[in-house]
Amino acid sequence: MPETAATWADFVAGWPIFRDAVVCGIVAGAALGFLGVWVVVRRMVFVAAVLSQAAGLGVALAFWVGMALDLPAEPLVGAVLLSLAATGLFTLRPERLHLSRESVLAAAWVLAGGLAVMIGERITAEAHDINAILFGSAVLVRPVDLALVAGVAAVVVGGALLARRGLLFAAFDPDVARVHGLPVSILDGALWLGVALLVSVATRALGALPVFAFSVLPALAALLLVPWRWVFPVAALLGGAAGGVGYLLAFFENFPVGASQTAVAGAFVLVAVPLGWLRRSA
Amino acid sequence: MSEALLRCRDLVVGYREPLLPPIDLTIGRGEFWSVVGRNGSGKTTWFRTVLGLAAPISGTVELGPGVRCSYVPQRSAFDALYSVTARDVVGMGAERHGSFFRLRAPDTRDALAAVDAGALADRPFRSLSEGQKQRVLLARLVASGAGLAFLDEPTAAMDIVAEQEALTLLDGIRHRFGTAVVVVSHSLAVFRRHADHVLFVDRAAPVVMHGTPGELEAHPVFRARYGMHHA
Repeated sequence: MPETAATWADFVAGWPIFRDAVVCGIVAGAALGFLGVWVVVRRMVFVAAVLSQAAGLGVALAFWVGMALDLPAEPLVGAVLLSLAATGLFTLRPERLHLSRESVLAAAWVLAGGLAVMIGERITAEAHDINAILFGSAVLVRPVDLALVAGVAAVVVGGALLARRGLLFAAFDPDVARVHGLPVSILDGALWLGVALLVSVATRALGALPVFAFSVLPALAALLLVPWRWVFPVAALLGGAAGGVGYLLAFFENFPVGASQTAVAGAFVLVAVPLGWLRRSA
Repeated sequence: MSEALLRCRDLVVGYREPLLPPIDLTIGRGEFWSVVGRNGSGKTTWFRTVLGLAAPISGTVELGPGVRCSYVPQRSAFDALYSVTARDVVGMGAERHGSFFRLRAPDTRDALAAVDAGALADRPFRSLSEGQKQRVLLARLVASGAGLAFLDEPTAAMDIVAEQEALTLLDGIRHRFGTAVVVVSHSLAVFRRHADHVLFVDRAAPVVMHGTPGELEAHPVFRARYGMHHA
């Protein structure tokens, strides 16, 4: 980001450099905004936080393995592996240990965040990358990361669109869906696998903070603003807008990118609360 | 005996340990069964086992050829975060394995009309009254085309008028579509006025008995549990 006040002319001149980061923010915001509706209505918000934090830890671990053991460790692989491992937490039954699922997820979130920061301290040469991954301060995105985010987003959102009625039935009334012969466990597993994969690649490209924000805030705003049949497109629209407008805010006001994208997504919720109240009382 | 839709043969239900003695019964087309018992007596466990939501300890549940089941859970089971409309809820009734991949949503007008709930189609389900929600869930039952309908406490939290309306609607569905109805209910009005068969379960006794409402009311355990005394 420029140190002096930036202008549109600066942005246009630098567009070939910023383009991939802006497009990646928009694509990831839209796709995670869409999938975030399921995260929110299924009361799995903390799961999104754990997935993005675990992906951040996976990236940090990959950097550390590469440096300390001199092995070719790809950060994306670390992100995917740790996200999938975190997804496995949902399948555990913590009540057997007299623990709530929330407490297990909170422990995983705190542990992943703490470990990522500690590992970051041991890899000083890559410290900037670690910060970028955890807090989303990455100004640039590699073309390969954009391609991965776009490809995974297309597959996961496409699948979720195709199975949307089954996903709704399985989420809204799982027992009756089972009685009707719907493969509820497979639908659930496929949904969370898709979310985990998208969170992994998006975290590698953009950072954990904006990815968590995209997974929750646009969906919250959409659920407040519009009826169910419009919730998914509006959440995707708001998520994409948060990704793009957040980048512009960061560019012109010299803020970190991920924090700006998170702030814009949060602003949508703040606006949606009174509008939603007005809509319901109309 | 009408056409058999479901048979329980030596069915023992429970979680690791048997809750009740073995159950043998047959449910026929168009019959109205009431499942009666105190809280914790094993009603819900039997229900969930028959629906395939819990595994039996032993014995079998056999469905007749081509028979489909549907289920109306308690309305408290629904999360108000979902802003789905009544039409969306009824549409779920028509979903089967794989059918949800079709792009065209199922037509719900006939099912809503069958329970006189057409006017509710575009209303958010969460904003409906208890009686209206029950109507919508009965419309979903109709949309499912099920030959065998299981309802869990369908009149709980309803006033007497709403309860009577819901039971009359249920009776209407049974007669119009030939659906066999199995209702778990604490309401004695359900089996006295509507049921032609009763399953009484009592884990404490332990006892399982099925027969007509008259036979049940003569059963000594039932009379003791429900505070009735021989005249």
